[in-house]
Amino acid sequence: MLPYILRRLGLALITIWAITVVTFIILQLPPGDFVDAYVAQASASGSAISAAEADALRVAYGLNQPLWFQYVKWLGHVVTGDFGRSFEYGRPVTEVIGDRLWLTVLLSLGAIVVTWGLALPIGIYSAVRQYSIGDYVFTLIGFIGLATPNFLLALIVMYFGLHWFNISFGGLFSSDQQLAPWSWAKVLDLAWHLPVPMLILALPGTAQLVRIMRANLLDELRRPYVVTARARGLPERQVIFRYPVRAALNPFASTIGYLLPFTVSGSIIISVVLSLPTVGPLLLSSLLSQDMLLASTIILMLGVLTVIGTLLSDLLLMWIDPRIRLGQLK
Amino acid sequence: MPDLSRRSVFAALAASPVAMELIRSTMAKAADLAASGLVGELQGPTMITDPAQWPKTFKEAPMLAELVKAGKLPPVEQRVPAEPMVWKPLNEIGKYGGSWRRAFTGPGDGENGNRIQSSDKPLHWSADGSKIVPCIAKGYDLSDDGKTYTLHLRKGMKWSDGAPFTADDFVFWFEDIYNNPEIVPTPTPEMRPNGKPGKMVKVDETTVRWDWEVPYFLFEEIMAGDTAMGGGQAVRQAGKISFGAYAPGHYLKQFMPKYSSLDAVNARAKQEGFENWVQMLHFKKDWELNTELPVLGPWRTVRPINNPIWLLERNPFYYAVDTAGNQLPYFDKVQFTLGENLEVINLRAMAGDYDEQERHIDLGKLPVLLENESKGNYKVHLDLGFAGADFLLQCNQSYVADPEIRKWLTNADFRRALSLGIDRDQLNETFWLGVGTPGSPAPGESMPQNPGPEWRKKWSVLDVAQANKMLDAIGLSKKDSDGFRVRTDNGERLRIQIIAIQAFLPYPKLSEMVADQWRKIGIQADVKEMERNLGMSTTRNNAHHIFIWNNGGTELLYLFPRHAIPVDPTEAYMGPLYGTYYASGGTQGVKPDDPNLLKIWDLFTEASGLKVDGRNKNAQEIWKILVDQQYGIGTVGQSPAGLGVRLVSNKLGNIAARVCNAQHCRTPGNSHPETWYFKA
Repeated sequence: MLPYILRRLGLALITIWAITVVTFIILQLPPGDFVDAYVAQASASGSAISAAEADALRVAYGLNQPLWFQYVKWLGHVVTGDFGRSFEYGRPVTEVIGDRLWLTVLLSLGAIVVTWGLALPIGIYSAVRQYSIGDYVFTLIGFIGLATPNFLLALIVMYFGLHWFNISFGGLFSSDQQLAPWSWAKVLDLAWHLPVPMLILALPGTAQLVRIMRANLLDELRRPYVVTARARGLPERQVIFRYPVRAALNPFASTIGYLLPFTVSGSIIISVVLSLPTVGPLLLSSLLSQDMLLASTIILMLGVLTVIGTLLSDLLLMWIDPRIRLGQLK
Repeated sequence: MPDLSRRSVFAALAASPVAMELIRSTMAKAADLAASGLVGELQGPTMITDPAQWPKTFKEAPMLAELVKAGKLPPVEQRVPAEPMVWKPLNEIGKYGGSWRRAFTGPGDGENGNRIQSSDKPLHWSADGSKIVPCIAKGYDLSDDGKTYTLHLRKGMKWSDGAPFTADDFVFWFEDIYNNPEIVPTPTPEMRPNGKPGKMVKVDETTVRWDWEVPYFLFEEIMAGDTAMGGGQAVRQAGKISFGAYAPGHYLKQFMPKYSSLDAVNARAKQEGFENWVQMLHFKKDWELNTELPVLGPWRTVRPINNPIWLLERNPFYYAVDTAGNQLPYFDKVQFTLGENLEVINLRAMAGDYDEQERHIDLGKLPVLLENESKGNYKVHLDLGFAGADFLLQCNQSYVADPEIRKWLTNADFRRALSLGIDRDQLNETFWLGVGTPGSPAPGESMPQNPGPEWRKKWSVLDVAQANKMLDAIGLSKKDSDGFRVRTDNGERLRIQIIAIQAFLPYPKLSEMVADQWRKIGIQADVKEMERNLGMSTTRNNAHHIFIWNNGGTELLYLFPRHAIPVDPTEAYMGPLYGTYYASGGTQGVKPDDPNLLKIWDLFTEASGLKVDGRNKNAQEIWKILVDQQYGIGTVGQSPAGLGVRLVSNKLGNIAARVCNAQHCRTPGNSHPETWYFKA
């Protein structure tokens, strides 16, 4: 087991390195650079920057150097934990991300808990009571949840929130609490703002998971070992939860790899629409403004989380499903 | 391609009878709007320039009085200059206090604050945008030969940290910032009339003089405009640019090698997390980011723009008072709250989350904004602009990639026919809700450079028959089986490309409507929607046929000519190679062979040495050529589309019925937000 983990860790390092290379190359693909984006932004707000001025900025930001040189310089800093200063924000990248990180994680974790908390029981119920009224109702809702783009849902919820209840959604704090230091009132304010984005975030995932859980469990329920268990007189509850449900959980465990990066940036579109101060919109805006250091740090972070998540999910799978074995057949 | 299908769903929706009915009813409403009192009279506070009427004693905000009591601040008499700016507020003397809540979209939205900070300009414009008025300078002189310009500062004026603001701050900017190529790599043309560099010298503590080798009467306008020299510290030294005519030398010297050593400043830069001293200086002189930077405007940053809230607090040394002697501003704070997208900002605005907001408010939402007026406790004002075109089709005159396309883009009758093929009323009703003025790109009739009312309609009305006749006459009479005109070189369909990016108005949708209208004159236009960077770099590479932008700012042609004539390579949509040629003095780019363009350049170049009447006459001549030649095809303008839909809380006082909505007015800057206040 230990050699396996060590080997995986070694591979993970190589993968992460490859991610840094690919990240850097991809970020160079769109036309222009941060200075171009900056000039475009300035002109759109009625300000003027001359071509020579733009060149001077390139020198100041080191954008005139060859790509490989920028890469080596950046990697050298990253290894020592220095992610540099965001061009657009004029602050250290770690601070810019850090500001938003914990709210993002809070929101995403909440969404995951809601997703799983709803999807697992409903999926099990739908499978066990296949073609019952309840199954049909959940299936219908599930398909609607799958089919509705959640940004649209977010817009609709926001509009009616304002229209009917005079609640202004968007953001995670009311304007009067935004600047206030942490207090009970502020926590309550946050608690008041959190559920709606959380639900909107969770809904499509829930619908999807319900369908997966239902299909998997239906497969398992027809297996001979279930019939055997029933024949042996095990109580129904034990028959279902001890064996088929456990087997049906495999796909859940294998998707944990994607859950980790999701907690950080799984909600870009929703966050932009609802104007949530999370990492998602930051990634989007840094890509648009070609803020290299900020964008590559976020992407690197997502890459690392994916790698770690994949490792974790592999380990978890082995634990849940003893049928999975290490190594190759010789 | 889920995206494509979604778009086509929306397209189908827009064309459905229900949607059309919706648009029609909105239009009907809009027709009433024009007469409904949403558009008021231009007004603003009155500047009192006669010292005899100035207040003799001064009062201050309670939050500052406390600091004075605690000994942390000198008394107000010592903070206000001996020659203050004195305002008679629009309606009444205001009350101190409160936080003005506004929306901003992130660190790229610095203009949001720069504009309300714009009383740090050397000179400004009157409330109606027509006259140059004092600002941080109490006045200026221009010699008879136009070779000397003298700026008079206010005696006893101070920076926000209490240090004196004098002519030395101008000299510091000129010698240590502007003349240092590491900070300012290329001089601004504004300091080089006819390519000959000018000089700035200190006459005495409150007098600065500019010496030119050639007559340069235009400089008076430049010092008041939103220009490199006249824009003021906030905008011209924010971000990474370093103009603005003056700078707080007493503070910035510590970051410059000249005043210590290169090693010392570089070491300090490293220590503070910058790569070198130039980067550090760009940060230190940026009022949006650096809370320690001394400023002159009504507020100063206490929480930088790179936070979810950008917070400003009153400048205790601000140089303006009201007629009762109260030091301005009335608002204690300005609080910008981050809205990641414009939909959310507009929704929050309807909920009454902002006290005053004109930026990022969408004209297309006008009906809903009006519907929620009482619920959100605000009033909507429409501030019409002065620029001729909110949607301008700029035809690339220096296009070379396809000789056939070039032939037509540079053909005046072809452009005129395109213009005659546009149904401007349909555009106006659909996208401006009928509140814009259709016609040519010439500036509004109230502006001094307007060439005359007859130039509004010239070549700029719908006349499909005439357009078809002209296109037939120039050799485009052959059509393909679908009725589109074909190229003269290979017989394939002539396809004109329109590049539109999403900005100000929904340009791509507007372009689609124009393309649709051009079917009637047999012209196939392909609308290409591009992301902003991509669009801009495409134009820089001279690769566009027609590019969409507005011509905001061209109402005072010499202050912002780039969207009227190709003189500035930065955004020379009308001919990038020609813009480069003009700006480089003929050393780069390509010389146009169109005599009309050359005539325009001559008139433009000549104007900087002319007095105001002569300048305006030249500008009128230029506009006549522009309208006649249709290099830029105007559609609808003089509307509130940009910064002109203003939501104001009913709690605020001294609010103008209409503010000057123009680039030179720094909307809402010349409405002087420091005189607004909370009534209760």
